[in-house]
Amino acid sequence: MLLSLDKSDTRPLHEQVAGAVRRAIAEGECGPGDRLPSARDLSAALDVNVNTVLRALRGLRDEGLLEFRRGRGVTVAEGAGPHSGLQIRVRELVAEAARLGYSRTDVIDMIRGLP
Amino acid sequence: MAVRTTAVLWTVGVTAVLAGMPFVVRERLPDRLATHWGLGSEVADGSMPLWAASLVPALLWLVTAAGATVPLLRARATAARPWTAAVLLPTGIVLAGSQAAVVRANLDRADWREARQPGAWIVVVLVVAVLAAVAAWFVATRRARAEGGTGSPDSGAPALRIPDDRRVAWFSRTVNPWMQLVAAVTGLVAVGILVAAVGGLADPGGLWAAFAACAVASLSCALFSSVQARVSERGLEVSFGPLGWPTRRWAPGDIDAARAETRGPAQVGGWGYRVSGLGTTVMLRAGECLVIRPRGRRADFAVSVDDARRGAALLNALRTDRSA
Repeated sequence: MLLSLDKSDTRPLHEQVAGAVRRAIAEGECGPGDRLPSARDLSAALDVNVNTVLRALRGLRDEGLLEFRRGRGVTVAEGAGPHSGLQIRVRELVAEAARLGYSRTDVIDMIRGLP
Repeated sequence: MAVRTTAVLWTVGVTAVLAGMPFVVRERLPDRLATHWGLGSEVADGSMPLWAASLVPALLWLVTAAGATVPLLRARATAARPWTAAVLLPTGIVLAGSQAAVVRANLDRADWREARQPGAWIVVVLVVAVLAAVAAWFVATRRARAEGGTGSPDSGAPALRIPDDRRVAWFSRTVNPWMQLVAAVTGLVAVGILVAAVGGLADPGGLWAAFAACAVASLSCALFSSVQARVSERGLEVSFGPLGWPTRRWAPGDIDAARAETRGPAQVGGWGYRVSGLGTTVMLRAGECLVIRPRGRRADFAVSVDDARRGAALLNALRTDRSA
C-alpha cells in the first residue's frame, strides 16, 4: 500500500496520518481484512512519532474503518472502503462550510432541513 | 540443456558407482564390510552387511543430488546456479572416493575387523573434493556472468513521480502459511522433546540433539514465514518474521537500481533466504519480486512481495531525487 503525507498541510499530524490511511482505504490500496503495517513501521516510514500514529489508528478504529485484534495487529474492517470514501466527503463538506463561515451545527441543520 | 544433462548424468553415474562398486568385487570382500573408523584409530569400529554398504551411500547421494537437480530440471529458464555445481561435484567425489576407500580397505580381508583405516585415501579425496568445488564455482559463476551480464541496470527501470511537497511511503507484506505451519509443528515437537528430556523419559544424549535440530528448524521457518518490505525516504527496509527482526536496510543512495521481476522457488533453489546465481532472494512465494542492485555490488537482492512494481518505482524516484 502507498501512503502519502502533504508536507505543507497545517492540520495536526495525527489527523494527517488518519487522512492518509483513510484515503488509502478509499482508493482500494488495502482491502477488508488486510493487515496494516505496524505502528512502529508507519512511524519510521512517515517520520512521525509512534504515539501520533497510534492516536490516528485509534481514531480510525472509532470511525469503524479499522479493527484492532490481539495477535493479528491492525486490520482493515469489513466494508471500510465505501465507508471511508463517505467519511472523506463529509470531512471535505465540513471544511468547505467552515471556510464559508458556517459552523458544524449550521451544516447539521442544513442536512436536517433537506427534504 | 547441457547443464541439466550433465547434472543428470553425474547423479546417475555416481549412484551407479556407489551401489555397484562393492558388488563388482564381492567375491574378494568379507560378509560384513568395515565402514567406520574412529578418529586416529587404525581399527574399524563400525560395520555393515554388503547390501547396506552399497545402498546406504547410494541413497544418501540420491537424496542430496535430487535436492539440487530436481529444481534445476523444473526451472523454466536455465538460470545460472553456481551452488548446484559447487555442491553436486564435491559431494559426489567425497561419497565415491569414500566408497572406493572402504572397498579397498576391506579387499581380501577375511573379517571386517582386519580392515585398516584408509587415512591417506580420505585425505586425498577431501583435497580433490575441495579443489573440485572451487573449480566448479569459478566455472559456473563465469558462465553465469557471460550469460546474464547483459543490459544496463537502469534500462526500463520504472520511476514514480513524487510531488515536491509530499512524503510518500510504500508497504508490502508476504506471508507463507506453510512455513508458519512447519514452524509451529517443529516448535511443538521441540517442546515435546524438551519435556521428555527434562522428565527423564528417554536417553538425554540423543534427545538434546533432536531438540536442537527441531528448535533451529522451528526458528528458521518462523523467521522466513513472513517478510515486510517498506520503502520511504529512509530507503528500503526488509524485515523478517513475526517480530520484524532482523531487518536489512539500504539508504536510497546505496541502491543503483530497483525493478520488479517474476521469480519462482525453482529458479533460486527453494524457499526462504536463498543465495543463487541470481543473487540473494528472499523467496516466500512464487511470483512478483522487488529486486534491487545495491551500489558497488555485482549481485542483486530480491524479496517476494506483492505490488513490487510500485515499490521499485518509488525507490527509483527517491534514488534519483537524492542524487539530483
